[in-house]
Amino acid sequence: MRIVVGIKWVPNTQAVRFDPKTGTLIRAGVPSIVNPHDFPAIELALRLRDNYGGEVIAISMAPPGAIQGLEHVLGMGADKAVLLTDRKFAGADTLATSYVLAKGIEKISREIGPVDLAIFGHETIDSSTAHIGAQVASWLGWPYVYYVRDAKLVGDGVIRALRQTEKAVEEYDIKLPAVLATAIKALKPRPVRLSYKLRAKLEKPIIIWTNDDLGLDPRCTGLKGSPTIVANITWMPEVPRKKIVYKPKDPRDAARWILRQLFTDEAVAPFLRKALWGEE
Amino acid sequence: MPVKVQCEKLCPEWPCEQPDEFHDIWVVMEADEHGINEASLQMLTPAKKIQSKKPDEKIVAVLVGHDVKKYAEIPIKHGADKVIVVDDPRLATYYPRVYGQVIVDLAKKYKPAVILVSATMRGREMGPYIANTLRTGITADCTDFDVDEKTGDVLMIRPPFAAIMLAYIKTPFRRPQMGTARPNVFPVPEPDESRTGEIIEEKLEDILDPGMQLVSHTPVKRSEVLIEKAEIIVSVGKGIGTPEGVQLAEKLASLLGGVVAGSRKAVDAGFVTPDRQVGQTGKSVKPVLYIAIGISGAAQHMLGVREAGRIVAINIDPEAPIFRQSDYGVVGDYRPIVEALIEELERLKQEGPQALEELLKEAQAS
Ligand SMILES: Cc1cc2nc3c(=O)[nH]c(=O)nc-3n(C[C@H](O)[C@H](O)[C@H](O)COP(=O)(O)OP(=O)(O)OC[C@H]3O[C@@H](n4cnc5c(N)ncnc54)[C@H](O)[C@@H]3O)c2cc1C
Ligand SMILES: Nc1ncnc2c1ncn2[C@@H]1O[C@H](COP(=O)(O)O)[C@@H](O)[C@H]1O
Repeated sequence: MRIVVGIKWVPNTQAVRFDPKTGTLIRAGVPSIVNPHDFPAIELALRLRDNYGGEVIAISMAPPGAIQGLEHVLGMGADKAVLLTDRKFAGADTLATSYVLAKGIEKISREIGPVDLAIFGHETIDSSTAHIGAQVASWLGWPYVYYVRDAKLVGDGVIRALRQTEKAVEEYDIKLPAVLATAIKALKPRPVRLSYKLRAKLEKPIIIWTNDDLGLDPRCTGLKGSPTIVANITWMPEVPRKKIVYKPKDPRDAARWILRQLFTDEAVAPFLRKALWGEE
Repeated sequence: MPVKVQCEKLCPEWPCEQPDEFHDIWVVMEADEHGINEASLQMLTPAKKIQSKKPDEKIVAVLVGHDVKKYAEIPIKHGADKVIVVDDPRLATYYPRVYGQVIVDLAKKYKPAVILVSATMRGREMGPYIANTLRTGITADCTDFDVDEKTGDVLMIRPPFAAIMLAYIKTPFRRPQMGTARPNVFPVPEPDESRTGEIIEEKLEDILDPGMQLVSHTPVKRSEVLIEKAEIIVSVGKGIGTPEGVQLAEKLASLLGGVVAGSRKAVDAGFVTPDRQVGQTGKSVKPVLYIAIGISGAAQHMLGVREAGRIVAINIDPEAPIFRQSDYGVVGDYRPIVEALIEELERLKQEGPQALEELLKEAQAS
C-alpha cells in the first residue's frame, strides 16, 4: 500500500505569549513543531505499512523551513517526504492548500506509484479548521471519513476504518483509494529513531516540488486561489461581568460570602433554590 | 453592492458566477430518528441576524435524510421561511460524501448566497466537502456573523488562535458564503407556533456511489448529563491538583444539581475526560452558573463561557486573570473553601429556606 500522510509545520501555539501592555502576540523565538494532531495520522500510516508492506510518504505544503518537520517524520520511519513549496502557494486558505496537496498526491501517483490512501490529522493547532481532509477528498473524488481511530485491510482494495462519534462506534468498509482523517489523540505515536533520521539526511529522500514541477495555474494557488480573505481584525468584545473580588477572613466566611452573593442574585437564586429544595 | 467578478481572473477550476445571482440564507439541518439536532436549529439565530441586515433574503432550512419529512415544520417554527426536504430511503445511512453531494446539487440548482452549518461532528466532516465541491470558501467555528454594509458580503467572525482577537473573514468573489459555528455558541430561536412557511420537496435522481459501506454501528451510552446542557457547572483547572480535589468538585456539583467540567490542563492531567473540556478547542457552554475552581482564566478557556450567566472564581492567586472576567471572585486555597461551601449547602438543604433567610440577614447586620 502506498500511503500519503499530510503534515503541517506549525508555530508552537502553547509557547505564543500575549503582551497585555502592547496588545500583541509575542511570536519571536517561538519554535515550530509538527502539528501535534498529525501524529495519530502518521502513526496509523506507519502501522498499516508495517502490517501490509508498501511505503509511507509524508507531504507538506509549506515554506522550506518545514523540511525539519518532514525530517522528524522520516525519523519516525516514513519512507519518503515531499515538500510542495513555492512563493505562489503563499497566503493560501484551506481551498487553495487542499488544491495544491491534491495535485501533489496526483503527481505522486503518476511518478512514484499509485497512492492508495491519504491520511490527515484532524486539525492544526494554528488554524484548527479540520477542513483539509474533506477538501482533498473533494478534489480527488475519493470517499472519506473523519474521527478515525484505527484501520485494517479487509480484502482486495478495501480498508475497514473504525471511528467514534458522539453517539456511536462505527466501522466502515471503504474502497481504495480513500482519504481518512484521524481523531485527536487516537494513536500514540512512536518515537523518532536516530538511525532513521541519519539515513534520511544521507539518502536525502525529501523531494521538493515547486510550481514549475506541479504546473498549476497561479490563479488557483496561494492568495489568488483563496476565496476567503481576512477583512479586518479587532479585539474580542469583553463580556460584561460584575468583577467583585473578595478576600475572605477564613474558609467559612468565603463560603457564606459566595452564598450571599448567589442567593441575592436573581439570575441564579431560583436555580439554586430549585436544586436545594425543589422549589420552582 | 457586491463585487463584479472578472472571469478571466478566476481559477479556471471554479465556475464563473456573479455574486448577485445568489440569494437566500441556507441552514443545513441535521436529523436522525430522534428529530432535528438542536445544534442545527441554533444556526437559525445567526441566519436571522444576517436576514435582519438583508431583509430581501429568505431563510431556508435544508433537511436531508430518510424519514425526515415529518420534521419539516420544526425549522419554520424557529424562524425559517422555507424548507427544502430531500427524503429518500437511499439516504438511510449517512455517508459524508453522499449527503454532501446532495446539498451541493441543491445549491447548484437554487444558488443560495449563504450556507450555515453547525460544527457538530457531522457538520465538521461534511461542511468542507460541500464548500470545496462548490469551489467556495468556508470559515470554521465562527463566534458571530455580520454583514458588510458596503458590499453586502457576510462577515464570518472567528477568533484566530489567540482567542483575544477576532478576525472578520469574507468571501467577496465566491458564492455561497459558508460558515460553521460550534454547538451552543448561539441559542435556538424561540419557537412561534403560528409561523407558516413553504415546504419544497426535492426528489433525488442519481445518487453518488458512496464508495463505502457502514458495517457496524454500536451506540455509545451517554451516561451523564452533557456539559452543553447543564444549568450549573463546577469546572476544575490545573489548580485542583489531585483526583481528591476533583471529588470535592463533584460533591459540590451534585449538591447543586450540576455537572463537572474542566480546563484543557485539567483534561491533560486526566482530572476530567476530554468530552468535558470547556473552551476554544473544547465545548462552549451556557450554564446559569459557572463555578471555576483553580482555573487561571486563559482566553482560550474563557471563550467557552461567554454565554454563561454568572461566573464564580475561586483561585489562590489574587492576580489570576479569571478575576477580571468573573462576577464573584474569592481569593484563597480552594480546598477548605469548597469544603465549607459544601458544608453550608448541606446545612441549608436540611434546614430549609428559613436558614437561608438567616444567612442573608446576617449580612445586613454586619
Ligand atoms: C490553540 C489553543 C487552544 C486552547 N484551547 C483551550 C480550551 O479549549 N480550553 C482550555 O481550558 N484551555 C485551552 N487552551 C489552553 C489555555 O491557554 C490554558 O493553558 C489553560 O486554559 C489553562 O488551564 P488552567 O487554568 O486549568 O491552568 P493554569 O493556567 O495552570 O492555572 C491554574 C490556576 O490554578 C490556581 N491554583 C493553584 N492552586 C490552587 C489552589 N490550591 N486553590 C485555588 N487555586 C489554585 C493557580 O493560581 C492558577 O491560576 C488552549 C491553548 C491553545 C494555544
Ligand atoms: N499545509 C499543509 N500541508 C500538508 N498537510 C496539511 C497542511 N495543512 C493541513 N494539513 C493536514 O490537514 C489536517 C487538518 O488541518 P486543518 O484543516 O488546517 O485544520 C492537518 O492535521 C494535516 O494533516
